[in-house]
Amino acid sequence: MTFYSLEFFLFLPLVFIIYHYSGDRVRRLVLLLASVCFYAAFRLPHLVLALVCVVSVSYVIGLRIDASSTPGRRIGLLWLGIGANLLVLIAVKYLPFIVACLNTLASKLSWGVSLPESPLLVSIGVSYFVFQALSYIIDVYLKTEAAERDFVLFALYLSFFPKLLQGPIERTADLLPQLRAPYEFRYDVVRSGLLLFTWGMFKKLVVADRLALYVNMVYADVHGNSGTALLLATYLYAFQLLLDFSGYTDMARGVARLFNINLTQNFNAPYLATSVADFWRRWHISFSRWILDYIFKPLQMSFRDWGTFGTAFALFVTFLVSGIWHGASWGFVIWGLLHGLFLAVSVYYRPWKKRLYKATGLQGTWLQQIWQTVVTFNLVCFTWVFFRAASISDAWYIVTHVFSDIVSVFSHGGFSQAFQLGAGKTKFLQSLIPLSAVLLLSLVKDKVDLFARPFWFRWGAYYLLVYLILYQGVITSKATFVYFQF
Amino acid sequence: MDTMETLNGIFREVFDDPSIILKRETTADDIDEWDSLSHINLVIAVETKFNIRFALGELQTLKNVGEMVDLIEKKIRK
Repeated sequence: MTFYSLEFFLFLPLVFIIYHYSGDRVRRLVLLLASVCFYAAFRLPHLVLALVCVVSVSYVIGLRIDASSTPGRRIGLLWLGIGANLLVLIAVKYLPFIVACLNTLASKLSWGVSLPESPLLVSIGVSYFVFQALSYIIDVYLKTEAAERDFVLFALYLSFFPKLLQGPIERTADLLPQLRAPYEFRYDVVRSGLLLFTWGMFKKLVVADRLALYVNMVYADVHGNSGTALLLATYLYAFQLLLDFSGYTDMARGVARLFNINLTQNFNAPYLATSVADFWRRWHISFSRWILDYIFKPLQMSFRDWGTFGTAFALFVTFLVSGIWHGASWGFVIWGLLHGLFLAVSVYYRPWKKRLYKATGLQGTWLQQIWQTVVTFNLVCFTWVFFRAASISDAWYIVTHVFSDIVSVFSHGGFSQAFQLGAGKTKFLQSLIPLSAVLLLSLVKDKVDLFARPFWFRWGAYYLLVYLILYQGVITSKATFVYFQF
Repeated sequence: MDTMETLNGIFREVFDDPSIILKRETTADDIDEWDSLSHINLVIAVETKFNIRFALGELQTLKNVGEMVDLIEKKIRK
């Protein structure tokens, strides 16, 4: 079930009412059952099975690690838990890709054997709850968290429906105590949750999906489009992805607030980052904190005898894993490797950076800030090409042709050509107007406290938002979030 | 010189800040950033100075400087 499906608009009020009027003892069970129903509504039994496996294995392993005092046994259980969780992830998400790679290798080496093709399964949500389960097991092993004994509470921690499909990837310390706390109805929290949900829906349906119309047309036929169209589509994709994913996160956080639960904020103006490292502190924050703590830091520690190279190599490996986590395709692998490469290079470049800005007199000026932001944004957009393109050859064509007609843009009105070959000027402008509106609103949103405004202003804003979603939103039955696939 | 004093010297050197005064309650503010080498440089400097070796995961559990001092002293005694 997606957040903007008709079923969800019936499901959510029903769950809320039952939850609200239930006794304290059954409330968690109500939320857990609701979460399982929410997931089962996809009618894909393997997903529910994967969730049950991950919950049961992690629950038992957590308790066993906690009860064991022998270091050897503890580490054995840790690896058993990690292995079992990764096995579920591989079985659901990576098997077809691994089989295809092995078969290609076998045919290249003329082994004369081939494995039967593995069915391509939908893996919505699995990467998210597996990562959350891994962080729980590792934290229990490190004794930074105690193992949870209440099975219902633990299962709810992994499967709480607002964050089940697409995160945020919540840490035990952030979510479990909130789920354990007695329920309290707070009108202001519920109201702010509903507004956040609607705002997220606006970002997704009115802006991201409208941008997608232009981006999809251009990316579907890269050879038939001009360099300028490819360039514009890539920049617009950067915003489509941000608004799609942050729109989803807003909706998830909004829904969670109905139950008085505060989920992690996943985005902090990522395109204003002044370095790729800064970008990763602002983009998909719950995920980047995860790979920082559980992959990068242990690797950096293990490679510490190699000096700066050790850190650079740890970054490279971490982002390779990040690429693979996003999906079983070479495009994601290259996307991850590029981020790893940028960060690894920045480790060496860092001492020179300060000297360079000092020598040019830019150190600490607003010009330095703008320059760094522009460069970072363009580096990130470069990597999005591999993330979005249908194939590596398409991506390569785009990066080698974006500037192919840049001269004609300035001399012969190449922009209009970009519109003609792309998706038409109207579609392009239709994408730009809501985008500009949402970016402007995002800037002032936190400064203007809507709830402190007079009645007519608040309700005017609510109605406008709903009107725009209904009449300007791109509403189709097939719409889905980009990050669902991961 | 006691462990705390030696550690204070290492912190000042690694973070290039002579004004650092460590207390047992001092905690690391979020210094571990993607582009930050200071954390690992600190680990290496402590290991070299005290001639000890931290195991993977030992440092993640430390809550403050006091616990770090205790861990170092425990390792020296071994």
